[in-house]
Amino acid sequence: MKLQTKLTLSQALSKTVIVILFILLLPWLVSSVVSGYTNRQLEEQKQKVLRNISRNGIDYYLQGDSSYGSYTMLKEEYISLERKATARDLDSIFTSQRLIEGDTLTYRVLSYTFSDHGKKYLLEIGKTLASINQYTHPLQKVALYVLISLVALTLLADLVFTRILLRPLSLIIKSKILNRKFPFTETPPAVRTGTSDFLYLDASLTGLETQVRLAFEKEREFTSNASHELMTPIGILQNKLENLMLEEGVDENIQEKIQGMMATLDRLKKIVRILLLISRIDNSQFLRSDEVELQPVLTEIGEELADQAEARNLHVSVNLDPPLHLHAVNRELIFQCLFNLWHNAIKYNRDGGSLRVAGHRNADGSYLLSFADSGNGIAASALPHIFHRFRRAGENIGEGYGLGLSIVKSIADYHGIGIDVQSVPEKGSRFSLRFPAALIMIPVNSSENNL
Amino acid sequence: MKVLIVEDEKPMALEMESFLNKLSYSCELAFSGRQAREKMPDQPYSFVLLDLGLPDMDGLQLLKEARSACPEASYIILTARGDVGDRIKGLDLGADDYLPKPFSLPELHARMQAITRRKAGLKDNSVRIEDFVIDLAKRSVHYEGEEIALSRKEFDLLGFLVLNKNRPLTRFQLSEHIRGDFAGDDYDSNYIDVHIKNIRKKLSAFGPVDWLQTLRGIGYKIKA
Repeated sequence: MKLQTKLTLSQALSKTVIVILFILLLPWLVSSVVSGYTNRQLEEQKQKVLRNISRNGIDYYLQGDSSYGSYTMLKEEYISLERKATARDLDSIFTSQRLIEGDTLTYRVLSYTFSDHGKKYLLEIGKTLASINQYTHPLQKVALYVLISLVALTLLADLVFTRILLRPLSLIIKSKILNRKFPFTETPPAVRTGTSDFLYLDASLTGLETQVRLAFEKEREFTSNASHELMTPIGILQNKLENLMLEEGVDENIQEKIQGMMATLDRLKKIVRILLLISRIDNSQFLRSDEVELQPVLTEIGEELADQAEARNLHVSVNLDPPLHLHAVNRELIFQCLFNLWHNAIKYNRDGGSLRVAGHRNADGSYLLSFADSGNGIAASALPHIFHRFRRAGENIGEGYGLGLSIVKSIADYHGIGIDVQSVPEKGSRFSLRFPAALIMIPVNSSENNL
Repeated sequence: MKVLIVEDEKPMALEMESFLNKLSYSCELAFSGRQAREKMPDQPYSFVLLDLGLPDMDGLQLLKEARSACPEASYIILTARGDVGDRIKGLDLGADDYLPKPFSLPELHARMQAITRRKAGLKDNSVRIEDFVIDLAKRSVHYEGEEIALSRKEFDLLGFLVLNKNRPLTRFQLSEHIRGDFAGDDYDSNYIDVHIKNIRKKLSAFGPVDWLQTLRGIGYKIKA
């Protein structure tokens, strides 16, 4: 899930929780506010009555009677004052029913007893619950609407704001992580933002890429230097031996020794060349931008190695169904990879055996190309090691230094081509390359679209 | 024919000179880009053998300059860096061929000969060995007017031996010549024997081939 979505969701969630909480609390809140207000109002009215009595005497209300009562027209409020000889001392507010002129109504009642000139009086002030609660509902409703619209408004503001805040992050992801090609030769401009975390992230990524690039360039320089430093002395030695061979007065005995030295030098040269090639592949020094049709490549390899296949009397067959057309690969490396597999299949075959090169498309869109030989096969215990440098299944079979398959492996890895070996000792081995769909060009049906 | 060898590795330059002198080329040596610049206008060279990894300047830059100073010369680039792009860049800049170090001297000679043949056009370029006529340009072998069919590799081998006739060639020099120039290949030099056997078989049906000699433990030689 994207950060933007997560943030928006969490904000919406927390706000919903607040709204629900508020809705649950609202009736209680409103009623407690209203009842507090009512109590205070009753208390104020009581104080007013007491003030009037202390200023004007109790007869201001009683007018000589023993009780006084008054109520508003719809009986929402009433006040009563009466002498109560036996009354307990009271000063409280409670909810109770009162019968006034035949109507029984529920009132919030303040009862208060007091003495005046040695006589006890009971004062009651009441207010109907209906009139008290008449505003709570509309109040709740309005509060709710205001709250919900405020929440919606802040949610919208949050959405816009987080989007603006997170814009540098998506810019960093787009410019520094996606669409970046190893070895990061171009440095995109720094992302402009006021958020220090993003600045830090951006700078760190750029720093890392620079580090990777420098390490890569160093390695490239190293292979280039190593190549020069190793190949030059080998070349000098080779040319010296060649000239020595042509020297007058050098007899065949010495020429044979020179040839022996050349053989050793040749071996050294091949190993160095192969190791440099592998390190160049592993160092991504080859472009992967060629389109390669496989059939002509296999034909070329077949011709190149025809003499060796003939010398061993091998039956060679190639069958690609359907044909394979690759793109985003390096032609030279693909050639090398197939050449080595083919060459191996000849080298480790038996005289009069067979080599079958076959290709077919898999259901998942990938393509399987296999080289099946009829040679000695590879022992199961050796299978895991055959792609490792300087290891070879079954020593002393012809030439080769166990590096041919290392090249194959490096090239396959470099292109994301899967490689698999199956082998039955004394029956033969099958090396399979699995070309992923990403490397395969969609065939164009040119012949079927006649207008 | 004049050859300018631009190579900062002195021992290697001297070996090249010694080999080419025997083939009656006359060589001038330059051990740096600066020296090469000085020597370029001196004489009309037929060949400039140019090492790309010079200490004092970029070899490709020197190639550009040299091409305008000596437009008549043929250029062969030599390099031990093995940089993938170098070869393409060099050929784009007008080099005639490219030889990665280490190379064998007979191979260098063969390349020079091939360039000469190419530039001279398809005029007669045949070598007569006893009653066989080998045309290196047309890649054909005739015996008293009758053509003998050889495979591509067989002719490559025979032609290489003819170019270096009267000099012994080892299996390694021969196998280096006939294998494609893709790196990392371990072409089996034992197959040279198979090819030679086939060449002998095909030619001996027409006439004696004792001029194609086996040097036991060394290699092969054409004695003519």
